[in-house]
Amino acid sequence: MIVRCIAWMRKHYSLVEKSFLAVLALLLVGDLWVPRHHVHFLGDEIPDFWALFGLGACALIIIGSKWLGHAWLFRPEDYYEREGNK
Amino acid sequence: MAATFFFHPALLFFAALPVVPLLKGVWRQALVLLVPLLAFTLVLGFSPGTHGVVDVQGLHLVFGRVDKLAIIFANVFTLMSIIGAVYGLHVKEPWQQVAAMGYVGSALGCVFAGDFLTLFLFWEGLMVFSTALVFLRKTERSTRAGYRYFLVHVTGGLMLLCGIFLHYHQTGSIAFVRFHQETAGLAEYLILAGFLLNAAVPPLHAWLPDAYGSATVVGSVFMCAYTTKTAVYALVRSFPGFDILIVLGVIMALYGVVYAVLENDARRLLSYHIISQVGYMVTGVGIGTALALNGACAHAYAHILYKSLLFMGVGGVVHVTGRSRFSELGGLWKYMPYTLIFTLIGGLSISAFPLFSGFVTKSMVISGAWESHLNWAALGLTLAAAGTFLHTGLKVPYFIWFWRDKPSFEPPKKDAPLNMLVAMAIAAYYCVLIGVNPEGLYKLLPFDAHYHPYTAQHVMESMQILLFTMLGFFLLIKKLYPEPKVGLDLDWFYRRGAVVFMAFCQDVLRMVDEQVIKNLHKTFALPLLRSFARVANWNDQRVVDGAVDNSAQAVLRLGDHMRVFMQPGILSRYIARTLTVLAGIALLALYLR
Repeated sequence: MIVRCIAWMRKHYSLVEKSFLAVLALLLVGDLWVPRHHVHFLGDEIPDFWALFGLGACALIIIGSKWLGHAWLFRPEDYYEREGNK
Repeated sequence: MAATFFFHPALLFFAALPVVPLLKGVWRQALVLLVPLLAFTLVLGFSPGTHGVVDVQGLHLVFGRVDKLAIIFANVFTLMSIIGAVYGLHVKEPWQQVAAMGYVGSALGCVFAGDFLTLFLFWEGLMVFSTALVFLRKTERSTRAGYRYFLVHVTGGLMLLCGIFLHYHQTGSIAFVRFHQETAGLAEYLILAGFLLNAAVPPLHAWLPDAYGSATVVGSVFMCAYTTKTAVYALVRSFPGFDILIVLGVIMALYGVVYAVLENDARRLLSYHIISQVGYMVTGVGIGTALALNGACAHAYAHILYKSLLFMGVGGVVHVTGRSRFSELGGLWKYMPYTLIFTLIGGLSISAFPLFSGFVTKSMVISGAWESHLNWAALGLTLAAAGTFLHTGLKVPYFIWFWRDKPSFEPPKKDAPLNMLVAMAIAAYYCVLIGVNPEGLYKLLPFDAHYHPYTAQHVMESMQILLFTMLGFFLLIKKLYPEPKVGLDLDWFYRRGAVVFMAFCQDVLRMVDEQVIKNLHKTFALPLLRSFARVANWNDQRVVDGAVDNSAQAVLRLGDHMRVFMQPGILSRYIARTLTVLAGIALLALYLR
């Protein structure tokens, strides 16, 4: 059942994609009516701030980490074995 | 009567431990299941009190301090031991189960310990049994990782022990109680360092992905639950409100996320997310308000369940395919669908999706930060939350089950074994249960603070962060394609350090020994020694022997002279001498008168 479900979703990929985008749009619009009881800082008052935050966070983490990896941290997978068994 | 009943649940595990290898087949499986079930039931019946007090040489040892804080941790530890036991039922050889039992028993011993010596005893037990779980993978890689794990934890244990001794020396007390930041000195910070090492707080964290990525499939499911969370328990007990923990916790939460991006091995990725998640708990302890401390405890509870679920899912894949690298996996959705669903539930829980367990616990810590006006900490933790979803919720399932249309290897014929799936189902059930009905968990929390996670604002905020992170994931997915590489971490210092040290011994020290020392020996030391010997020889022969010989000869000669003089054998001389003496005496007597 699970397999058939996933297979169906893979077959109708564009439909899944569109409904995902629709949900995103719904979130953006819906946020305008959400009452704010706990305002901790500026961002809580701006509608859709957290959507922007999520997108920005994602980009920051991926690009930042990968940059760090390529610039400095990445080594071949057998780095320690190769250097260690000398 | 029932209110004061206490039987240490660790005793159950330690008593069953030697029996496990003696039993076979169904009997062993029954015992392995029965012990955790009994322990769980026992803990459910506990109520606060102090038991098992022993006085040894004036030291007040407490084995059974039961309070709400101990109970919630014991509760989840025993629950987890049931899940882990089910997950490991298929294992034929008994030693993993033996090690796991000792491991759980030690963790429970720590939780109920009322003094530092008892804590230390079980703390070391944790280390020994978990090291066994790494060694039992029986590959060269795991053996090496096991030794590293052991050495790092020995260091941590020693720091803890030094701290305990120093603290005892200063205060005369070994009671395992709360410390205060204002009065904390070297002793308290040494104890803190010991705890932080087990909690895998950077820079003392590199052992975690190293060991958990190398342990046995069942072993890492156990390990992800106990060592770090026992440390969190110890921190909540002793170090609430220590400011340094807030900074360390937030760094930790983000550190794990950054390394998770770079990681190609699924179990190592999950390990880095343990570091990240424990960061929330450490931050909560550092904030130290009732809400934040409750958050740390609740998050530990939820974390044990969803993280073990994730390790079980990925462990199932490792068990079936023998692979854990993203670059080799992919396309498994048709072949291991149940494992996929359970791993997804774990992923949604750790990502704090509404209706899953992380949502009702992680937000307690973040709210604690907001309410203490630590905006930077709250924002840092929220950023880490986005990263968590990015990796554990999206990257792990995507690159194991999707990504490729078909696996790049012979596809597995079956999903994970039934017992593994059942264990995953139990953990998944609890993940959803806590998410849907948080009050059940909140009732167990040790501190007095109320919290309501399901407000429209909070749900909307979370959904926006999570779904837009998902959008970002699919937009940037090309950047995330797995690369068969490792990220350098701080274990570099001791892994490369050990290699450099060995090279130093083998090359430099040996060269110095062979070339320099040998030649020095030949050219300087030997001739010098020889001339010393010559002088000594001369001294011995001439001075010492001469003195001895000459004095002996002198005594002999003197004796001869005396004999000849005193005993000549001539009667007239004897008479003459006698008369002379008598005359002398008479003269003396006359004179004296």
